[in-house]
Amino acid sequence: MSKKAIKWILILVILLWTLIPFYWFLKIAFMTPAEISVFPPHFYPHKPTISGFFNVLGFSYTSPSGEFFLPSGQATQVKRGLLNSFVLASMVTCITMIVVTPLSYAFGRLEFQHKNKLLIGILLSVALPPVSILIPFYILFVKVGLAGNLIGLLLVTLTITIPFVSWMLIGFFRNLPPVERLAIIDGYSRFGAFIKIIVPMSKVGITVGAIVSFLFAWNEYTFAVVLVNGTFATTIPASISGFLFQHPEPEHLAASLIYSLIPPFIVAYFLQEHITKMNITEPMGG
Amino acid sequence: MRRLKKVKELSNFQFALFLTLPVIIFLITIIGYPLGYALWASFHRIIFFGGYKTNFIGFENYVNILHSQNFWHSVGVSLRFGVESVVFTLSIGLGIALVLAELSRGKKIIRSLVILPWATSRYSAGIIFKYLWGGRKSFPTALSYIFGEGRIIDMLNQNTVIEMLAIGNAWNLAPLVALFLLANINTIPSRLYDMAEIDQLGPFRKFFYVTFPYLSYSLFVFTSIVIVLSLKVFDYIFVQTGGGPGTVSATLTYEIYKESFSNLNLGYGAAMSFYLLFLILAITFSLFVFWGRKEA
Repeated sequence: MSKKAIKWILILVILLWTLIPFYWFLKIAFMTPAEISVFPPHFYPHKPTISGFFNVLGFSYTSPSGEFFLPSGQATQVKRGLLNSFVLASMVTCITMIVVTPLSYAFGRLEFQHKNKLLIGILLSVALPPVSILIPFYILFVKVGLAGNLIGLLLVTLTITIPFVSWMLIGFFRNLPPVERLAIIDGYSRFGAFIKIIVPMSKVGITVGAIVSFLFAWNEYTFAVVLVNGTFATTIPASISGFLFQHPEPEHLAASLIYSLIPPFIVAYFLQEHITKMNITEPMGG
Repeated sequence: MRRLKKVKELSNFQFALFLTLPVIIFLITIIGYPLGYALWASFHRIIFFGGYKTNFIGFENYVNILHSQNFWHSVGVSLRFGVESVVFTLSIGLGIALVLAELSRGKKIIRSLVILPWATSRYSAGIIFKYLWGGRKSFPTALSYIFGEGRIIDMLNQNTVIEMLAIGNAWNLAPLVALFLLANINTIPSRLYDMAEIDQLGPFRKFFYVTFPYLSYSLFVFTSIVIVLSLKVFDYIFVQTGGGPGTVSATLTYEIYKESFSNLNLGYGAAMSFYLLFLILAITFSLFVFWGRKEA
């Protein structure tokens, strides 16, 4: 076999590995409840329907063959969840980047006292498992009226995104060429040099950081289920969890999961473009 | 000269404080309270039924946990899951990176597809793999009805459930590893490969002598990240197996959830979560001491 053929076979294997799990679950969204219960399971929907996509958004649907599908009881939660997740993820992304860019610049570029201690403190919070601070957070938020509230979830999500994204960007800033001194000779203040020179140079890193925070916020499940599930402030992960335990409707679960995957897939496209240009894991201090 | 340097350092410190202090204060208050509460709870017995009551019991929770069989079982499950996740994620991520590095045509579209599992949330990955491996209508069952003798294959059974969880975890995390390693591979100077060509190195020796040294620091970083992410993951396992069958896949995070939420043993659960935190820190620290320090 030629080298080229081997290469394309390997590519095929990688694509199958990537796509089969998606396919096997998401095909359910296009099946009727009757077809889902067939055994052995079908490899593809024999009578594909898009009813689920209407039902989870609260619309009834009549198929061309005259079958009638009722809207899902979870529909209000799904709609509200999509909207809230969008608001939450956008806000988390903006705040995280405004805060993290100067933070990781300071840690990546400047030498100052207590730097390592502070750095370890920030990174420790990356190691913190969500289950262990879940109940204290809940108790705190009930006390101050932030349970069932999007602001509360926003604060919690920031405690996840800020440490993780700073950790990613510190290495990135460290590897930028040393231009601050030149900027200061040109008459910029330190802060001016940071805003006008460093930030534009760091577009790639900042984009990757923003995408990662968006994904974290959009996908956060554990806190969302405990803090906002079933309320006005529900996010899409919490809404989807309703299909898992209270109302097991696989076709609606799959349809709402597809809706929830669209925004992450769109940002992932931009992520792959930028991530390969970014070299964050060079040996430190080099 | 000395004086000048001192002035400069001071202003560095001030500038750094100006950039970082607000965030650090935010993090300390918003994480500090829950963490402090958890620490307080771990030294108390908290009773909800028949009136809310708390008793200070010192280290009793911590000692009881060490005598609990469930705890040691779940430590074992977590470690097995974590180590297998690292092995699968890094080898699959490295494999994908090496293949993608050889690609000249169709790069963008294949990269865009390959990254999709990473954009998928942990709980979605859990649901997706629950349907792929588990139950009567798993993918292997469907294959066996077409090609084989036609029997029900539930891969989430007690013998293989942890391996299957680790494979799904690797599916979820490997794209990130692959793309960062790919970025690394692209920085390797091409003259090194030209020299390897002159020395007539085969593909394996080329990998070990030229590519691998450039990747070893990234491999250390991702080993640390994957083990931390795997030890602290909860939703992925919760939606996929719920710790089952029985308690076969009950990881430490699941055990903490069960103690705190089902049994309402808040103090006991909090104490257990400090053991988990300790385990995560001990593992990352020893990885750094035995591996990372040499690379850096």
